[in-house]
Parts: sequence; C-alpha cells; structure tokens
Amino acid sequence: MRIRSILARLWAWAGILLTIGMVLFLFGFVFWKGAGSISLEFVTTAPKGAVLGMEGGIWPAIAGSFCFTLTAVLLGGIPAVAAALYMVFYCRHKKLQSLIRAVIQCIAGIPSIVLGLFSYSFFVRDLGLGRCILSGGIALAVMILPFIEVRAEKAFRELPPQTIQSSYALGCARSYTIWHVVLPACRGELVSGVILGACYAMGATAPLIFTGAVAYASAPTSLLQPAMALPLHLYLLVAQGATSLGTAYGTAFVMMALILVSNLLATLFTGRSERHGSHPHPARRQRRL
Amino acid sequence: MRKWIDRIWSAAVVLLTALAVLALAFVIYFIVREALPTFREVPLRDFLFGSRWMPIDYTGSTSFGIFHFILGTLYVSALAMLLALAVSLGASLFLSCAVGARTRQILYPFIDLLAGIPSVVYGFVGLMVLVKLFLKAGVHTGSCVLAAAIVLAVMLLPYLVSSCSETMLKVKCRYEGAADALGIDRWHFAATVVLPASFRSILLSMILAIGRAMGETMAVMMVMGNANLFPTLLGKGETIASVIALEMGTAVAGSTHYHALYAAGLVLMLMLFLINSAIGLLRRRFLREEV
Repeated sequence: MRIRSILARLWAWAGILLTIGMVLFLFGFVFWKGAGSISLEFVTTAPKGAVLGMEGGIWPAIAGSFCFTLTAVLLGGIPAVAAALYMVFYCRHKKLQSLIRAVIQCIAGIPSIVLGLFSYSFFVRDLGLGRCILSGGIALAVMILPFIEVRAEKAFRELPPQTIQSSYALGCARSYTIWHVVLPACRGELVSGVILGACYAMGATAPLIFTGAVAYASAPTSLLQPAMALPLHLYLLVAQGATSLGTAYGTAFVMMALILVSNLLATLFTGRSERHGSHPHPARRQRRL
Repeated sequence: MRKWIDRIWSAAVVLLTALAVLALAFVIYFIVREALPTFREVPLRDFLFGSRWMPIDYTGSTSFGIFHFILGTLYVSALAMLLALAVSLGASLFLSCAVGARTRQILYPFIDLLAGIPSVVYGFVGLMVLVKLFLKAGVHTGSCVLAAAIVLAVMLLPYLVSSCSETMLKVKCRYEGAADALGIDRWHFAATVVLPASFRSILLSMILAIGRAMGETMAVMMVMGNANLFPTLLGKGETIASVIALEMGTAVAGSTHYHALYAAGLVLMLMLFLINSAIGLLRRRFLREEV
C-alpha cells in the first residue's frame, strides 16, 4: 500500500519536472543559440549571401508571415465566430447542429498538409490565382477555423444562461443581446482564441509550401503576390545545411519570441475575463444589461 | 428600425455560417474527388498493401503502394502517444492532486507554450539535438523512427496534460471529501482513487492528440529520415504526410502520381476518422457504464 503512494508521488514529480524542463529547454536552447545572430539589422534587412540566407536578415519573411497570418485570421476568424454564434444562439434543429459539428470536426481532423494540397490544386491551379498570399492565407484560414470555432462556442456555452435570459426578458432583441451582453462577456476568451489561432497559423509550414510561400521575395505589397514566411524560411535554411545555421537559429529565435509574446497576451486576456466570470462586479453587470 | 437591424444581423450570422460550412464541405468533397481517379489505375488492394512506391518510371514501370507509409504513420504516432501519455499522466497527477488552484493558474499557460511552438522549430531542435545524440549513440545517420516519436511526444504533451488533468481534477473534487473524512494520505488517494477512476475518460483526451500526431508533417519529416522502408525503432521511415509534402511539388497535375498523393491524404483522413469514431464509441460505452 505504501509503495503505491510512493510510486504515484515519484511519477507525478517526474512527469511535471520533465514537462516543465521541456518548455525551459526548448526556449532556452533556441534563445541561447540564436541570441548571437539577432541584431537590428537581422530583423530589418533582406537575406543575402552566395547561398541565400547565409548572411543578411529576415525582414521580408517577418512581413510575409504577418500578411499570411492576418489574411488567415480575417478569413477564418470571422466565420468561425459567426458559426459559433449560430450554433449557440440561432440553431434550433438538432440535426442541422450535429451536421455542422460533423463538418467542422472533419476539417479539424484533416492534416494541414492535405489542406495545402487542396489549396494548391484549387486556388493556385484551377482558379489561376498562382502562388500568392491569398491562396496560402485561405489554406491557413481553413486550418484555424475549427480551432477558433471550438473555443468561441465553448466560451458562449459557458455563459450563465440567466444573463442571456434576463436580457431577453427585458425585451432586448437577439442582435442587441449578442452585441451588448454576449460578446463583451466573452471578449477575453474570444481575443485569446484568435491570438492562439494566429500563432497556430503563423507557425504552420505545411499548408504554405506550395501555395504562397517562396524561398525569396521582397516584402509583400499585394495579396496576389507570393511572399516569404518565417517557418518555411527556417525549413529551407535547415535544408541548406551547415552554412546557414547561424541565421536559422536567428529565425527560430524570432519565431519563439513572437510565440512567447502572443501567448502572454492570450493568457492575460483569458485571466482577466475569468476574474470577471467568477466575481462579477454588480455595477458592471448592470451596465452590461 | 431596431427590428430591421436585428434581422440584418441575424441574416449576416446565418449567411456567414452557411458560407463557412459550405466552404468546409467543399474542401472535403474536393479532396475525395481528386483522390478517386487513382483507383481507376491502381487497384485499391495494391495501393493499400503494396510496398513499392515508384511514382516516376525510371525503371520502366510505376507502382503506387503506400503500405510502408501507413505503417510508418501508425508506428510513429502510437509510439509518440505512449511516451507522451507516460509523462503527461504523471504531470496531470501532480497538477490535480499536489498543488493548489493558484499554482495551476501559473503552470497551465506555461505548459501551453509547448502548443504554440511551430512544428518547424520542433523539427529543427530535434535535428540539432536528438539526431546528433542518436548519431553519437551509433545509429546510422541519426534519423530514425524513435527520434521522430520523441519529438512528436513533446508536441503532444500540452494537449494530453490539459485534458487529462481536467479529468483528474473532476474526479478528485468528487471524492476529495470522502477521502479527507477517512483520513487517507493524499498520495495514496491519488494512486488508488484518482488514477484508476480517470483512466477511462483519458481515452477522450487521446482523440485530440492522435489527430495532431498523425497529421503532423514538418517536424516528423525533418527527423525521420524519409526512406520507403518497413519502419523499425532505430531505422528510417516515412509517413503519409511527409510523402505528400515531399512529392507535391514534383507531381504533374492530373497524373496518377498527383491523384495518388490525394488518395494517400484521403487514406490518412479515413484512418483518423476511424480511430476517432472507435474511441468515441468506446467512450460512450464507458460513460454509460459509469452512470
């Protein structure tokens, strides 16, 4: 009997230490190795060198990644939130609801590389858009749509039903209730869901390989141009071998730093709204209604 | 006036949802449509169980068999799942039974950082650290299935930890009072009540994780070696996702090779679907038993 509890204790400590150690190791390793190549020049100039990327910076990749992510969040985030609203507040047919859920789950299960394949065949080839930010952004949007929808729907469902019913009881229309009660109450979760979705999109390489990201381009000026993207740039630098390792570590550094900052932001937002949820300020709640 | 705004808003929500769902349904339809022509040229049995993958006819004949890729995908995912489950069960036990709500609030976002790291970075670090270690340990070229499984296991950790610890927390809250009243030691309680009682619901946690594991492309591709071989623990292997990523650029549009890549993607999707519904079915049975 005694042995079992000791074993459980050991297991728990080993598990948590390994997990925490992994986080520290990954960030520490990349930051330590990459710190040498980071400079103002590195983040503001274009890649140079006999083998591309040996010298110079990664500015076009940062700008390109930003454009891809923004396209994906606009095209994926808005329908995702709308779909979540529909599922929670509008849909009355159980059958339709489970059908929509099945489609969304099916998309969530599609590997990102297959989404890239789809976007390549349909947008790049069939519609003749060519490799551009739009084709890549759509692939990313399809990828993050289920991700954001699930989080948004969870946030809406966890709202106390009294809040919504009181609003209806006061004669508020559905749109008014959504704008003035539901969305403000869930702002934290929605914002953090979108930020995490954006992170997911920014770090994805597979959907971009053949749809929009290229090895070299200048900073993008239009949605119909191909652009560089940070993760693909890192992949190509690694594939080139030892000559460009310095810049590869630098690129990884920039991505990890972006991830760290956006995760902090997301945590801050959810943390805040959870506090509101658990101790609702009476005055504030009245104003909301 | 108000009424009209309400109507327009409702219409907008319905329209956007319909658009999103139709677009998603179209993606699924498109993938199936592009995959089916494969089977006009390659019999289904040869495609699934053939082990020769020769998309371009250097040697006179092409052949499309994805058996090794299927095995590679399953092998890596299962191994990664086992490794990740071992670590994350321990970590969840710690999170649910050993610390208070405040520490949890700090540790959760910290562990979630792992979910945000791009898969290329995982692959890169795996290549720089793990593959070198394996090379030193005497594995030829260093890239192997085990290295890929370890990288993948780290990627699965945040998903498993968050859902397992949620389950364990619920179980703990349900029985905590009784355990306290009996004066049971905290760790004894964890080992004999929390762990066994949450074992079944943990199946559910695996759904999310296995999807991520099987569809993961870049990280696995970078450390697994990518050779069409029967996967062994320390040998090279290749997954379905890597084949698609590596060969998509060279496949001529409309050729059998191109359709075969779609078919491989479809097989991957169907495998995921089957595993998910099997787990869902098991879960429903378990839940009914619990009630």
